[in-house]
Amino acid sequence: MEANLVEVVDAISMKKIIIICALLIGYFGHAQDGTNLEYKKRVLEQTEVDFLTSYYSQDGDNAAVTGGIGTEELTDFTPTVIISVPLNDNDVLTIDAGISAYTSASSSNLNPFDISGASNGEGEDDEDEVEEDNNSSNVSGTPWAASSGASKQDTWASITADYSHSSDDRNLIWNANLSFAAEYDYTSFGIGAGMAKLFNEKNTELSAHAKVYIDFWNPRYPTELDSYVEVNGNLNDGFFEGVDILDQDGNISLDWQPISGFSLIKDKGRNTYALTLAWSQILNKNSQFSLFVDIVQQQGWLGNPMQRVYFSDIDNYFIGNASSIPIYTSKENKDVFQLADDFERLPDTRFKYPFGFRFNYYLNEKTSLRTYYRFYNDDWGIISHTASVEIPFKISSKFTLYPSYRYYNQTEANYFAPYEENLSTDSYYTSDYDLSKFNANQYGIGLSYTDIFTNAHVWKLRLKNIDFRYNYYKRNTGLSANYFAVAFKFILD
Amino acid sequence: MKNIVIILYILVIFSSCTTVKEYEKVNLNDPDMVLAQKKIDRFETNFQVYREAAAGANGGKSGGGCGCN
Repeated sequence: MEANLVEVVDAISMKKIIIICALLIGYFGHAQDGTNLEYKKRVLEQTEVDFLTSYYSQDGDNAAVTGGIGTEELTDFTPTVIISVPLNDNDVLTIDAGISAYTSASSSNLNPFDISGASNGEGEDDEDEVEEDNNSSNVSGTPWAASSGASKQDTWASITADYSHSSDDRNLIWNANLSFAAEYDYTSFGIGAGMAKLFNEKNTELSAHAKVYIDFWNPRYPTELDSYVEVNGNLNDGFFEGVDILDQDGNISLDWQPISGFSLIKDKGRNTYALTLAWSQILNKNSQFSLFVDIVQQQGWLGNPMQRVYFSDIDNYFIGNASSIPIYTSKENKDVFQLADDFERLPDTRFKYPFGFRFNYYLNEKTSLRTYYRFYNDDWGIISHTASVEIPFKISSKFTLYPSYRYYNQTEANYFAPYEENLSTDSYYTSDYDLSKFNANQYGIGLSYTDIFTNAHVWKLRLKNIDFRYNYYKRNTGLSANYFAVAFKFILD
Repeated sequence: MKNIVIILYILVIFSSCTTVKEYEKVNLNDPDMVLAQKKIDRFETNFQVYREAAAGANGGKSGGGCGCN
C-alpha cells in the first residue's frame, strides 16, 4: 500500500516535473521566438559584385630607369572584381582580385640596346639573348624611346580575402584579411586585422588596423650592370664582346666600370608594418569628420634596382653613335645610350607618419562637400601636403556629377639629385623624380548613375550603380597623366 | 603641431555637445557623405602611391604590396 502510494506520488511528481519542464521550454521557446522576431538588419543584405576597370597613361622626360632623363611614357590597364558575400546576419566575406597590365617605355630601357632580335622576347631574359646576337655595328639605344625588350610590359596580379564580423548591436566590428600579389620582379604576402568601436549612439567611431606585408624582390638590373658582373668585368666577353664602348669624346675605350665596390642586391626582402588609427565623429545632422594617423615602418631593400644612377664625379661612357653623345640629353638623341655607374641605393629603413583629415558637409539635397587634407613626413626628408575637394551634385534622382580638384606638393628626399648630379662618395643616391621636389595639380570629373530599384538585369545580376571618373594630373616637373575609371555594381539575385 | 592640437581640442569640444539620433541621420547616410574613399577611387590612389613619395592616411595603401613606395 505504502509502496503504491510512493509510486503515485512519484508519478504525480514526475507529471509535475514534465509539465513544469514543458512550461519552461514553452516559455523559453517563446522568449527565444520573441528574440528572433526582433528586427536585426543584416550587415549586407545580398551578395554584391563590383566590376571595376581603369586606364592610365602618362608621359614625361625624367625616367628613373634611365637615370633621371628619358621618356616616362607608360600605360596601365586594371580590370578588377570585388565580391562581397553575406555569410549570415553579421559576417561578410569579401574577395578582391585584379590585375594591372602595363606597358612602360622607361622599364623597356632596362635593356635599351635594341639590336636585331635581341630584346623582343616575351618573358625571356633580355640579357641572355643580347649575348647571343651581339654585333657592334648595330648596337645602340636611347633614353628617349621605348626599347622592344621584354621588360616593356608586365602584369601585376593581386588577390585579397577579407572577413568581417559585426556585433549584434553593430557597435563593434572586427576584420581580418590576407593578400597576395605578384609581378615579374616582385612578390608580396600581406596579413592584416582591425577593430572598430562605435560609441555615443554611433556618433563616434574609433578604429585601429594593422597590416604587415612580407615582400620579395626578384631583381632585374640594367643590362650593362648585370652583364658586367656576369663577365667579371671583362669587356671583351659576354654582352660586351664586339661592342664598342665610347668615352665622352667618342673614342673607343675599355675603361668603363660601375662604381667602385659595385655589387648586386643581397637582401631581397622588403617588410612593411603599418598601423592605422582613425577617429570618426558626427558633428551635427549635416556634417562629420574623420582623422587618420598612419604609422609605417619599412625595412629591407627599399630602392628599385632597375633605376640607373649617373655620378657627376665619374667619367661617362656610351654605346652607340659617337656623334650623338653631345646631344645625349636632348630628345634628338636617337642612337646613343650612357652606361650606368650604379643603380639607386637607398637606406634599408624608412619611417613614415602621415596624418589625414576628412570633412564632409551636406549642403542641401542636391549638393554636398567632400574635403580632405593630409600632412606627410618621413625620415628620408620628405614633407608633403595634400588637399582635395569634391562637390557631388545631384543632377536628377539617378545621376550625380562629381567635379573635383586635388593639390599635392612634396620636398625632395635627402638622397635625390637629378641626372649626373649625384656623387659617388655618397652612401645613398637616386635620380627618381618621384622622390624629387615637386607640386602637382589634378582636375577631375565624374558621373554616377544609381538605380535603387535595380531594374536592369544581366543574368542573375541586377545593376545598382555605374560610376565613371576622369582625372588629369600635371606635375611642375613636366610629367602629365590621364586617368579613366569605370565601375559597375551589381546585386546578386 | 600646436595648431593641430588646437584643432583637435576644438573638435572634441564641439563633438561632445551634440548627439545625432539615428532618425536624424538621413543626410549623413547619403552615399556621398561617406567618410572614406569610394571603390572607384582606388585606382586613382594607386597611381598616386606610385608617382608620389607621400602615401597613407587616406584609408588606402601606405606602402608594401608592390615595387612602389
